[in-house]
Amino acid sequence: MLAAILLPLAGGAALLLLRRAPTRTVRNLALLLTCLTSIIVWGLILSGRGSIRLMRFTALLDVEFRLDGLGRFFAGILAALWPLTVLYAHSYMEHEPRQTAFFSFFTMSYGASLGIAMAANLFTLYFNYEMLTLATMPLVLHAMTRQAVRATRTYLLFSLGGAAFAFAAMIFLVTNGAGASFVPGGLLKAHPYAPEITRIFFVLGFFGFGVKAAVFPLHIWLPKATVAPTPVTALLHAVAVVKAGAFALMRLTWFSFSPDLLRGTWAQWVPLGFASFTIVFGAVIALKQGHWKRRLAYSTVANLSYILFGVLLMTPAGLSAGLIHMAAHACIKILAFFCAGAVLRRTGLEYNVQLDGLGRKMPLTFAAFTLSALALTGIPPLNGFVSKWHLLSAAAEAGGTMAWIGIGALLISALLTAFYMLGVAVRAWFPGRDRDLSPIAGAKEADWRMSLPHVILSLGVLATGLYAQPVVRAAEAIANSLP
Amino acid sequence: MLLLLLVLIPMCMAPVCWLISRRSKHGRDLCAILTGFAELGLAIFAAFRGGQITLDGLCGLGLHLTMDGFRAVYCVVLAFMWAMTLLFSPDYFAHHHRRSRYYFFQLLTLGATMGVFLASDLFTAFVFFEIMSFASFPWVIQEETDGAIRAAKTYLAVSVIGGLAALMGLFLLGRYLGTLELSAIYPAAQKTGRLPVFYTAGGCILFGFGAKAGMFPIHIWLPKAHPVAPAPASALLSGALTKSGVWGILAISCNLFRGDPVWGACILALGCVTMLLGAVLALFSIDLKRTLACSSMSQIGFILVGVGMMGLLGEENAPAARGTVLHMVNHSSFKLVLFLCAGAVFRNLHRLDLNEIRGFGRKKPLLTAAFLLGALGIGGIPLLNGYVSKTLLHESIVEGIPVYGGILKAVEWVFLFSGGLTLAYMTKLFVAVFVEKHPTRQAEFNAMRRYLSKPAAIALGLSALVIPVLGLSANQTMNAIANCSADFFHAGHLHHPVHYLSAENLKGAAISVAIGAAVYLGVVRTWMIRNGRYVNRWPKKLDLEDLVYRPVLLKLLPGLFGWIAALFGENRLTGRFAAGTLNGAGRIAKLFGENRITKPLAKGACTAGSVGSHALSDSLDGAVLLLSRTVFRQSPEPVEDKVAETLSYRLGAGADRAAALLGKEKQGGRRYARLFYRLRQSFRSAWRQISGNLSFALLMLVLAICAVFVYILL
Repeated sequence: MLAAILLPLAGGAALLLLRRAPTRTVRNLALLLTCLTSIIVWGLILSGRGSIRLMRFTALLDVEFRLDGLGRFFAGILAALWPLTVLYAHSYMEHEPRQTAFFSFFTMSYGASLGIAMAANLFTLYFNYEMLTLATMPLVLHAMTRQAVRATRTYLLFSLGGAAFAFAAMIFLVTNGAGASFVPGGLLKAHPYAPEITRIFFVLGFFGFGVKAAVFPLHIWLPKATVAPTPVTALLHAVAVVKAGAFALMRLTWFSFSPDLLRGTWAQWVPLGFASFTIVFGAVIALKQGHWKRRLAYSTVANLSYILFGVLLMTPAGLSAGLIHMAAHACIKILAFFCAGAVLRRTGLEYNVQLDGLGRKMPLTFAAFTLSALALTGIPPLNGFVSKWHLLSAAAEAGGTMAWIGIGALLISALLTAFYMLGVAVRAWFPGRDRDLSPIAGAKEADWRMSLPHVILSLGVLATGLYAQPVVRAAEAIANSLP
Repeated sequence: MLLLLLVLIPMCMAPVCWLISRRSKHGRDLCAILTGFAELGLAIFAAFRGGQITLDGLCGLGLHLTMDGFRAVYCVVLAFMWAMTLLFSPDYFAHHHRRSRYYFFQLLTLGATMGVFLASDLFTAFVFFEIMSFASFPWVIQEETDGAIRAAKTYLAVSVIGGLAALMGLFLLGRYLGTLELSAIYPAAQKTGRLPVFYTAGGCILFGFGAKAGMFPIHIWLPKAHPVAPAPASALLSGALTKSGVWGILAISCNLFRGDPVWGACILALGCVTMLLGAVLALFSIDLKRTLACSSMSQIGFILVGVGMMGLLGEENAPAARGTVLHMVNHSSFKLVLFLCAGAVFRNLHRLDLNEIRGFGRKKPLLTAAFLLGALGIGGIPLLNGYVSKTLLHESIVEGIPVYGGILKAVEWVFLFSGGLTLAYMTKLFVAVFVEKHPTRQAEFNAMRRYLSKPAAIALGLSALVIPVLGLSANQTMNAIANCSADFFHAGHLHHPVHYLSAENLKGAAISVAIGAAVYLGVVRTWMIRNGRYVNRWPKKLDLEDLVYRPVLLKLLPGLFGWIAALFGENRLTGRFAAGTLNGAGRIAKLFGENRITKPLAKGACTAGSVGSHALSDSLDGAVLLLSRTVFRQSPEPVEDKVAETLSYRLGAGADRAAALLGKEKQGGRRYARLFYRLRQSFRSAWRQISGNLSFALLMLVLAICAVFVYILL
């Protein structure tokens, strides 16, 4: 278990030393490291539970890792997507400068993300969370342009600011809960404290971790961070980092603060309100974006709040719906970003209006993108539909005004999703009869290292939509195991 | 298994055809046609075999297909329509591009549409309905003209919105009813009693499926999408896809709201509006396919009247149910023929405007006969099948009059009047294309002897043959269709057989013919023809889509949220404390009055503030800013053209105009437009500063909290 976390961390750091090695070697090494780690992680997931205590700071603070159901779910998503992304980056980064640093930090962030997934207490999680922030910071900075510098600054400001809030919540838990270990059903259930103060700290924690989960108005760093190379935007800023925020909130809600203490109070409906608003807000702003990757980033903002919405319903059905959407969205959004990246690499085009007629030049890429667009909208028989159906059911089951407002927000957002995603696909496939197609005359389809992830992810989107039972059952098992 | 094949064969053949097309275009055409006919054979076989199939766990809740009388009828109808259009397609597309794409999606849609009709629960129907909506989208955009792209986008938007509404409805229904299985809905609803939420759910489902059916007020896509699609696709859109929408409406009307007068009345009202509006739009149109498209809308209205009457009549709903199903089948047959005729015209002339295709049909017996049969059939002329279904629908309204009184009397007149309009616009088309002569190109038209290839002619002939065959053998064939559909409709028993050709029933047809003749002679021949040309008298501005839907969806909602985004300083949320303070001071100084001393002072404070802070945070930014404030400084005169869209400019311009009207016109810099513009600018920059400061304050707060906790820890 420790190997799974330390291998990418140490390996990534070691890659930094290979400054003089040919970039090809570095890329291959990174791929090898990632694949090895993924194999270990999947082995761990399938073999069962494990627990390890690394070190103790005080009686209350220790670094401890444990793999339970929720952690396995998140680690499974990461382990499935990371090798694909490194393969994609293998082709994408081929002609970029500073590859050694890029691959080294990219591998290190894998270790940090796994650390988050396997953390056994809030302190370990927080520790890895900060490590992830620091490991991804150089990746955003990669291009070294003024825009990248600014984006990095915003990213750091928001992440560290948010972490401070989260820190507050953590300290509250440590002092009142005798350590901050994760207990299914909530640590504070056994250690109740003044309820109002508990709620205040929960909301603080929500906004703290909500920075990474891009809750309005703390989402601003995410669209800016799209200046990073596409593998980073695709994996880190659509899956690993942002989902780590959502994951941390799941831990916070279900394993630290107890849902029983929060359900039906303002500490539930304030975050729910923010999540519902973000769902609509992200979608509307995505529709207004002309820049393709920024549009996808705003779409991520909206979709992350879908997950949060599920979690904040504070019912087992809500949690499992949130998990299902987490898996579905990870698959869909990484696919969409890969397509945007493939186009960017092949043609250098990054604005929606430039994509006219590109579908025929890069058929596989745009077929994959169309599929992801349909899936994100929630069209059966794709996986986005299954997850939205579960979210809606969970919300209806939970009942209450906020849940119904959320249902409305979900539907409006789905509508807008169709517009902003399919708008791009329609443009690419049907440019119109008299359109001048000369700017894209030389465009070529992406090579196999980019196309293979497209195909695998497309099949994944289709397969988990047609037959969603494994994912649904896993998520429901996790939710039902909580007292 | 057989049912699954019905759905899967076309879906699997779609990629096969596409792969074949890379080798041979001819092979692809052949493959598509063979698939169509194989599907027809299979549908007939499956119709007699029956059966059902359950696939648990697929697509979330599991798929469930079944075959009964009504579904058998419609599967055969669908397979027949597809086979005919596929047979017609190679000829129609002889000189088109991207045919492989068309065939791919045509076969894909066939599978999905089959799935909708075979579905045994609403969830399965919804899954296939969504696939069908998206698979048929490339039909509309096939030609890729500007009109086609616009229409296709409308179609897509309506499909998505409709799909979501239907999803919401299904979801509510599933939640409060516990089942979506059609056969279980009614008992479940009996058990729970009629909750108000059912009407919400029903409304959502009605909206979703009604959007596809072309029901008012979400018919907007229909008159636009049908004309721009290729003719074989229009035939299917109009004859088959709209029916899948009707299927959904039937599915809830016949189960959830069985015998519910309130629901029946709602559908009846919507049906009447759709019926009349469609007919009026069709009468005004001067485009062959647009007229046919609007006519489809109107005929869907007729069908909805039948559905509504079923609800109103309760146990006595047999004539309404029989009329509804027969009109569905009949309308499919008419629209198949008529759109194929339109396809034949378009294939040769590449025009659809009545003034330009005038006289094309002269001396073309097959085309004339086919179109005439379609036109007379849809007009409800006795001995053809349309008469039978319209008679039944009429009878159902008449039956309701003793119960509901005068209001149904009005419905009856709307019904007869719409029937009259149907005849009027079909006469208009027939006279224009087949009777009148083209002023200049008539000889050229007459010379077009080989205007259709053999397979296409066979397809047209076979489709047209259905109309008289059904009409003449009404007592055998049409009664049989109605009988075997009774289960699906949960129709009551028919107490006495209907004598279609009785004097009472012929009277209704005669009234409609009289109205039609009067409208044609009184309105079309006089008002709608100017100097020998057909003119469109419909006011261009009167378009529901441009008037309401587009502004609300594309302007109002994004504008609102964009404003919120701007409020939170989307692009400038970094702490610029110094700039804020200095700038703020400058602004306050400005507030105290603008004179020779304070003005430069304030300005200086503003500039120094921003420049200083930028230099602090990012020297490069600072340099750029310094340059922009000094060397590249813009002239202070506002450039009004650039802000022509903003509210402030409009207000200002309005105020200026008002001032001019009052005779107090102001000149140059003192004009209101400029004044307002300056106000807006200063407001905006102030707001930017405020939001910047807020974000900084937030950060400070966070740091403070950190400090507090570190202190507590220590």
